[in-house]
Amino acid sequence: MRFLIRLQNIDRRILYVLVAIVLSVPLIIRPAKHPETVFPEVRKTYDTIDAVKPDNIVLLSVSWGAGTQAENDPQMQALMRHMFANNTKFVVMSWSLVGSELSYQSGMHVQADVNKQRSREGKPLLEYGKDWAHVGYKTGSISAIVSGLGENFQQVMKQDRNGTPLTELAATRNIKNYRDIGAVVDLTSVGLMGYWIAYLTTPKHIPLIYCPTAVMSATAYPYLDSGQLSGMLNGVMGAVQYETLVGQADVATDASASSWALSAAHIYIILLIVLGNLGYLVARKTGDRSGGSKLG
Amino acid sequence: MVNWLAANYGSIAIWAGALCTFGIYTILYKENKFYRFFEHIFIGVYGGYGVYITWHNIILPKWWRPMTSEGLWWWIFAAVLGSMFYFMYSKKHAWISRVIFGLFMGFAAGGIFREFYEGYFPQIGSSMKPFSGSYSNILSVAVFYVVLLAAMSYFFFSFEHKHPAVKNTAAAGRWFLMIGFGAMFGATVMGRMTLFIGRLNFLINRWIPEVRAEAQSSLFWIIMPAVVLIVSTIGYFVFRKSQKLEA
Repeated sequence: MRFLIRLQNIDRRILYVLVAIVLSVPLIIRPAKHPETVFPEVRKTYDTIDAVKPDNIVLLSVSWGAGTQAENDPQMQALMRHMFANNTKFVVMSWSLVGSELSYQSGMHVQADVNKQRSREGKPLLEYGKDWAHVGYKTGSISAIVSGLGENFQQVMKQDRNGTPLTELAATRNIKNYRDIGAVVDLTSVGLMGYWIAYLTTPKHIPLIYCPTAVMSATAYPYLDSGQLSGMLNGVMGAVQYETLVGQADVATDASASSWALSAAHIYIILLIVLGNLGYLVARKTGDRSGGSKLG
Repeated sequence: MVNWLAANYGSIAIWAGALCTFGIYTILYKENKFYRFFEHIFIGVYGGYGVYITWHNIILPKWWRPMTSEGLWWWIFAAVLGSMFYFMYSKKHAWISRVIFGLFMGFAAGGIFREFYEGYFPQIGSSMKPFSGSYSNILSVAVFYVVLLAAMSYFFFSFEHKHPAVKNTAAAGRWFLMIGFGAMFGATVMGRMTLFIGRLNFLINRWIPEVRAEAQSSLFWIIMPAVVLIVSTIGYFVFRKSQKLEA
């Protein structure tokens, strides 16, 4: 009984160390197995990307940085793999300073990884500028940029992150306005979905895919229900389910290791909640008032 | 030196990342100067990087070059308008900044109408679901309406919830809202854990292999003990001082 009562007073630093141990085990083992269950919104995302016409591009809007890289980067990499496999051209734009660099590095990493396989299969290799482009960091009035790129893409974007005019890149040369955009993907930790809905995707009937951090995902379901969103990847769990769909179900990836670590963490937290409440109930029954949270 | 830095860029980046991660996570033990030091490094680096990227990616290609090289001289007026913001620091001329602030507030207020219309009107429309299709769909729609009406009745403040029908429906609405908040909080926990997983993954799958690779070199075994000794000594005095202050 005393043991259960004392569980309410565990030093938080011990809990932190235990969390680190629980999360580390799957990251060391790195299981390849991906979840077999795929949520409907993830399936819709896959179908939306599949339905993009060959002469259209997908616009990836990056508004995440180093802080949420663990959630948003796997989403973006899974989507890039799908688009590379489909030969769908895409353009990455960033509203985040750090996100601009990270998303470019991720694109190059996925390109190199896919090229290894293509090389083995004797297929033509992917190239930056030909199969995809990165237009770098954008700042200013978001509504004006979002609205403007739908009307005159070249005028608003002008050049890629390396300073090359978009008219000189094969991936972007023919993009004139919203008619050339097959889908928009909002990879975000700050919530720019409202701007895309208001100024581009809903008025111009362009599918919008939302890839938020898990914290933000709950508020997006009404938009999925109304059809304003054509799909969603919910944090890293959405990313790992998408990897299942793009044929990586048996490949050990960061996302698959993260999903296992996440499941372990959830079991650990549920266990702590149960033990803490057991301690509380026992303390109340025995009249012991020593329980409570310890902050020090 | 420059050549050495260029040749070892990858290793330096990984070691710097690991050091910063450990430095920032010392806050989990308690507030300390290590944490503050790395926090200030982050803010400084982010600020400097921001200035460079904003100049290189935005101001130079979209304002300076068109104005100076492409004959679009009228872009100078953008600088005039932009500089109006800074008059907010002058008591005498603060009215100039209010002109430009007013202009932007007008833009924003106009935009809100459109954002509200495009954002929420389709959701009001999609809330009118028909009772049709399979039995499971009809049941799903019925659950949707019960939750929708209950939650809406909770926010109905025009009169007191005295009638049992209204009172009980509003109470049910409160429960539904609590369940919704619980789901949102669950997602928050998942998100926070993922962020920690990201850092752990970096340490386990990038930094530790880097340490293993470098452990092959004899220089590593000379430098590392010295670094560990210095960091431990600094850490000891930093935490000892903070403990004395607390006492």
